[in-house]
Amino acid sequence: MMRISRPLATLASFSLLTALTACAGAPSEEKASSPTDGYPVEVTTCGFTSTLDARPTRAITMNQGATEVALALGVEDQLAGTGYIDDAVPAKWKEAYDSVPVLSEQYPDHETVINAKPDFVYGSYISAYDDEAAGSQEQLEKLGIASMTSLFGCGDGDAKPEGGTTFETVWDEVDLVAKAFGVPERADAIRTAQEETLAGLKAEKPGAGIDVFWYDSGDRTPYVGTGEGGPQLILDAVGATNVFADIPHGWTDVAWEKVIAADPDVIVLADASWSTAKEKIAHLKNDPVLSKMRAVKADAFVALPFSETTPGVRLADGAVNVGGQLEKLSR
Amino acid sequence: MSVALASRRARGLDATGGLRAVSLGALLVGALLVSVVMGVGIGSVPIPTSTVLEVIAQRFGLGGDVSLLDDQIVWQLRMPRVLGAAATGAALALVGVVLQSLTRNDLADPYLLGISGGAAVGAVSVLVLGVSVGGLLATTMLTLGSFLGALGALVAVLVLATGRAGDLPPARTVLAGVAIGQVCAAYTSFVTIMSGDQDAARRVLAWTMGSLAGLRWDSAILLIVVAVVASVAVLAFTSDLDAFAFGESAASSLAVSVNRTRWILLTGTALVTASLVAYTGAIGFVGLVVPHVVRLLVGPSHRRLLPLSALVGAILLVWADTAARSIIDGQEIPIGVVTAVLGAPVFAVLLRRERSR
Repeated sequence: MMRISRPLATLASFSLLTALTACAGAPSEEKASSPTDGYPVEVTTCGFTSTLDARPTRAITMNQGATEVALALGVEDQLAGTGYIDDAVPAKWKEAYDSVPVLSEQYPDHETVINAKPDFVYGSYISAYDDEAAGSQEQLEKLGIASMTSLFGCGDGDAKPEGGTTFETVWDEVDLVAKAFGVPERADAIRTAQEETLAGLKAEKPGAGIDVFWYDSGDRTPYVGTGEGGPQLILDAVGATNVFADIPHGWTDVAWEKVIAADPDVIVLADASWSTAKEKIAHLKNDPVLSKMRAVKADAFVALPFSETTPGVRLADGAVNVGGQLEKLSR
Repeated sequence: MSVALASRRARGLDATGGLRAVSLGALLVGALLVSVVMGVGIGSVPIPTSTVLEVIAQRFGLGGDVSLLDDQIVWQLRMPRVLGAAATGAALALVGVVLQSLTRNDLADPYLLGISGGAAVGAVSVLVLGVSVGGLLATTMLTLGSFLGALGALVAVLVLATGRAGDLPPARTVLAGVAIGQVCAAYTSFVTIMSGDQDAARRVLAWTMGSLAGLRWDSAILLIVVAVVASVAVLAFTSDLDAFAFGESAASSLAVSVNRTRWILLTGTALVTASLVAYTGAIGFVGLVVPHVVRLLVGPSHRRLLPLSALVGAILLVWADTAARSIIDGQEIPIGVVTAVLGAPVFAVLLRRERSR
């Protein structure tokens, strides 16, 4: 379905390669070092500080974003369990993901977490530490379990991370997690690879001159990508214009009439289990008014997995994905 | 006071009260028309009233030169929504009047018989569990699901409440509605919490509070047909409803076939509510409060109460919906929130005035 132009493809495979070699090469060297070398490590996120006295060997990740950061760092052998995946981890990490037990479809509850005897817990959202979920971070600390939250997940959906919603913050989080897991050099590899990917996109500008409507979900009222979230970062990376760039927040509800008035060239669709790209295309094509939009008539659709659209370690993949599809459309 | 005397007294008041009702009615019709035009002009994309009128004129073949964009927004997006709101408000108010009289319960509202609960069961099954049939669109499925859910709840309530003799005592019907409503609510919460993704609770809550967002002509026309049919139908029952308002024995003494009438009206109003709820979700307050407000203004005679309640309900919902989609730029507020915020103070003022009389 998706075809990436040659320079982009080379770029993508190169970055994948660097990431892979970084992951595959590292462990043997580290095994030699003692588990407390470089520790204690302090991690502070969302105003909570945890201290790790040794390299975690039984960590738990909750939510897809946190789990994928761990998988990107190749620390699956240091995980005791995962929980609450939204859709599926990408193929490149599937084997690693399957090697770790899934504790729960959604948040594992406090007892399940304790029962897994973790030494470190890492969740994407602060809600991971609700009483109905893993239990509060203080409670976990009393049991000697360190914990951290994603820099993007401190509040509800709209709370902005300290460093702003940027790739820099994504990499800062990867740094932090890598430090906690005792594999700091792997974070550098990810950062370098993604920086190169983005530099390539910036040079090529596959989205130059294209007005994009980022359609996340919703039918009666569309939930759209606005000026301060993952969608905006992706569109900036490919050089496209977000028609709702001037609205604050990462995503928000917008009236359909504003979409029609904006008259976009291309519609980007997030493909999520609860709102698939196919459903959204069907809605656009069947609605008597929306079907008359220029982009709908021209089938100018770009689809990518929802998990590539939230600020996280896969956001750069999302940018490559969108860039490739935009290039194909404009040909 | 005997029933006959009371009804004669009510008729005696007709001369002055009737005039008042007619002038009030004319005023309300005018207000409704103005509300529709103004409502269509308000929204995320600003459109002046003159353009609205021009679009309408052009659509009726009276000439005019409007841009395609204005036509799309005014005629295709906003007009069906505003008219749909008017139809929904009118029908909800009518159903409220009928049920309050039929059950002699001041707290009766259109969702009395577990209908919103049943519709929510259907809606949640579609929204959260993703139940779907063939190639139907998600929105169509949501409408169908809530309608079937509402019908299911209605059947369950009627089965529970009907006596051996086929009678349908109001108290038992209301209690059956409460019981079925609770079961439905339990299912809805269970499904939402257990298998909902992070977005599901938000969407279910939004559905529960009602919304006219995304209403297009096809649905709007259906709502208008429902409202018109309901209005015409209930007008045939005005004297029966007057009798019911005085009580069951009064009704039977006035030669009203109590059981038959009650069956027809209960199932009829439930079907109307089920169709409304399928398109708009449960919009509270209108069906409960509008009848009381109008009763305070023109008295209990259903000949006046029904049409005037329909008009007030229509106007209230047009403005509530306009507020719902324009108070926060680009973002929709659930219309149920607006009806409560708009309606409650008005109701409170009227109650106080009534008390001080």
